[in-house]
Amino acid sequence: MGYALTDISVRLDGRDILHSASCHLQEGKWISLIGRTGAGKSTLAKVVKGLVPFYSGEYRQNGQPMPRDRKGRLKAVPQIGYVFQYPEQQLFAATVEQELGFALTMLGASRTSVDQAIQAVMEKVGIPAELLPQNPFQLSGGLKRRVAIASVLIADPELLILDEPAAGLDPASRRKLLSRLRSWQKENGRTVLFISHQLEDVAEYSDEVILLNEGNILGHYEVNELFLKHPEQAGLPLPEPVQLLRLVERLSGQSLEPASCREADIMERVRAVWHGKGKLA
Amino acid sequence: MNTAATWGQYVHSASVIHRLDPRTKLLCVVVFTLCCMQLRAPAGYVAATVLAAGSMRLSRLPLRLYLRGLRPVLLFLLLPLLYHLLFNRSQDGILTEVFNLWRILLPVSIALVLTRTTKPLDLAKGLEVLCKPLIRLGIPVEAFALMVMLAVRFIPTISQELDRILMAQKARGLEIRSLRGRQRVQACLRLVIPLLATTIGRAEQLAMTIEARAYGNGRGRTSFRVLHFSRIDAAAGGIMLVYTLLILSGWRPW
Amino acid sequence: MLVFDRVDYDYRQGEPVLRQLSFGIQPGEFVAVIGANGSGKSTAAKLMNGLLQPRAGEVRLGSLNTLNRDDLVRIRERIGLVFQNPDDQFITASVLDEVVFGLENLRVPRAEMSRRADAALRSVLMESYADSAPHQLSGGQKQRVAVAAVIAMQPEFLILDEATSMLDPQGRQELLQLLHGLHGQGLTIIHITHHMDEVLAADRVLLLSRGEMAYDGPPASLFSSDTIAGQPLELPFAARLYQALGLEVPVSADWKETIEQLWAMR
Repeated sequence: MGYALTDISVRLDGRDILHSASCHLQEGKWISLIGRTGAGKSTLAKVVKGLVPFYSGEYRQNGQPMPRDRKGRLKAVPQIGYVFQYPEQQLFAATVEQELGFALTMLGASRTSVDQAIQAVMEKVGIPAELLPQNPFQLSGGLKRRVAIASVLIADPELLILDEPAAGLDPASRRKLLSRLRSWQKENGRTVLFISHQLEDVAEYSDEVILLNEGNILGHYEVNELFLKHPEQAGLPLPEPVQLLRLVERLSGQSLEPASCREADIMERVRAVWHGKGKLA
Repeated sequence: MNTAATWGQYVHSASVIHRLDPRTKLLCVVVFTLCCMQLRAPAGYVAATVLAAGSMRLSRLPLRLYLRGLRPVLLFLLLPLLYHLLFNRSQDGILTEVFNLWRILLPVSIALVLTRTTKPLDLAKGLEVLCKPLIRLGIPVEAFALMVMLAVRFIPTISQELDRILMAQKARGLEIRSLRGRQRVQACLRLVIPLLATTIGRAEQLAMTIEARAYGNGRGRTSFRVLHFSRIDAAAGGIMLVYTLLILSGWRPW
Repeated sequence: MLVFDRVDYDYRQGEPVLRQLSFGIQPGEFVAVIGANGSGKSTAAKLMNGLLQPRAGEVRLGSLNTLNRDDLVRIRERIGLVFQNPDDQFITASVLDEVVFGLENLRVPRAEMSRRADAALRSVLMESYADSAPHQLSGGQKQRVAVAAVIAMQPEFLILDEATSMLDPQGRQELLQLLHGLHGQGLTIIHITHHMDEVLAADRVLLLSRGEMAYDGPPASLFSSDTIAGQPLELPFAARLYQALGLEVPVSADWKETIEQLWAMR
């Protein structure tokens, strides 16, 4: 089960964006996609959603081939939700209410069930009811982002693609948003494909990491394996907790073996070693 | 999306036509267009066609780039011709229509040569310089030039924006291409709102950037880009002059 | 000196964005401005070079005042502003034209213009991109061009309004290095940001909270003071680390050296 891409190659404007990329997105996991700007992260995510055609390779969802229309063109996959990098790229309705209801209306849901779903998703994401008649483009940055995410979550996607969902948010709002999404994913057993430049966030929230560079998939790791065993593979500035871990391991000459690469677990081991060595003079 | 394919956009080459001063090209296009209205005798049509085809050839760009640009115009123009063929089968009527059609296609194709061979910035600059005398009439030529430059700068941005919005709608289940008739028209109209909203947002930010860089201080501006006429401009101007005189004199060799 | 003197601002009546904001910035400082989304940071930036005028109070640069329309051009000559979104601040269709745009407005002679544009592009390492179009550049490159366009005008102050927030870590690093280099050459930097590591590298921090000044001082004591407790801001990693280890040392960007030294001292 899950989403299997085999040898997918993509060319846009005569430029090769992906070179026979293969990966398997397993159901129920939070999978992060990392790599420099232009590595092909967004393109890979768009292939998964069915927004970008590939010229060779095979893509199967739960064992089934991609849906296509009468003329054989790719169709967007309805059970996958896609939150674009900037809300401005995604919002298009005249009011918040139309924006939120759009996906369900397209799926042919009834008026009352759409209204119910809007109520539910507004509570989940934290959008005040008085915003419903407002123009989504005139909201503040943080609210715009919440509306963009809610308008995708409302269709209850099996797989949720998040392209830099927290860019431009202050650190506290960023943390709140990501932990909310992580608990939604865990509680409902959904799959998340998370694109981020912030390796701190990747180490904190992911189960698995896919590493991209110039259109090639360099590796697919379990998150702890990547950050605790092969951090040099990441090839980007490492998260600060991981840097701390490596420093203290070097200083103490022993392996700390934290429970995971999350900051709380690393901090706990570092504290134990620090104090185990005796108090400061 | 292939930007070179966008209607009439600049395509690079080092041809004579590319190297002409934008002012020369602009003036030639204006004069040529005016002359086209004066076309009477078949010889004039031949001369104009030779000129248009010749400049296309000299621009060393593939002919299909021009044909692609002419296609949408052609569709419009063929309708009256069709009408004559179907309902008014007099040979004279059809012949007049063919000449009329040709008379409109000629300036359109020469205008295409201009936009395909001139960098948008040079075009804006040329326009600004040519319009300079209008300042004395109280027309804000400088602001107009900035406007043209911004428009040119934003064409690719807005087309990218449109692609993004289409993709965002597709991601939530709307396939415009699979819709028909009225539904499709409605779906296209729905694109207008987000496109306007983002464009206005961009415009506001841009206005601030322009102001922050001390534009519009009432002291006028100096200019970095300077245009130079060269010998090829003189040659092009000469050819145009001869052609104009021929047309205006009602040249009728046969 | 750039002075905010009891400045009030609102976009809609009854919804104040800045309240009685006062501070002064000396030439040569590197100031970080932080605060939650909606705390008034960007508004303050736009007030600094007269894109907005205060509803009450004054913003002054030496003897110039942003309320005085005749002073605005001279203020904008001396205070450059770089915005958040790299896509929305390209005015022209090529890198070189972008850099000379401001110079044309300042009526700089042609020869001088190309010399200054070349120098500005060299200092941001973009000299080989002079003829490129904006959509051919990466986000970090676009921001560097935006910086070049401003520094070519030879301002005394450079304000960056969340200019790093849309960049990847490498792009961000490139821009920060550039800022610290320019600061070394005497430019005053006012850097609005969400990144706590960038804050630690500044000389001074202004913390805005609902339009009021909540803290004004060196970064190290901000993170060890109680001020930050009630703020919707995150402590930098170094502060979290020292807290966890019960260390009472000033918070700085080079926490690794501190840990190494303290380890050796035991």
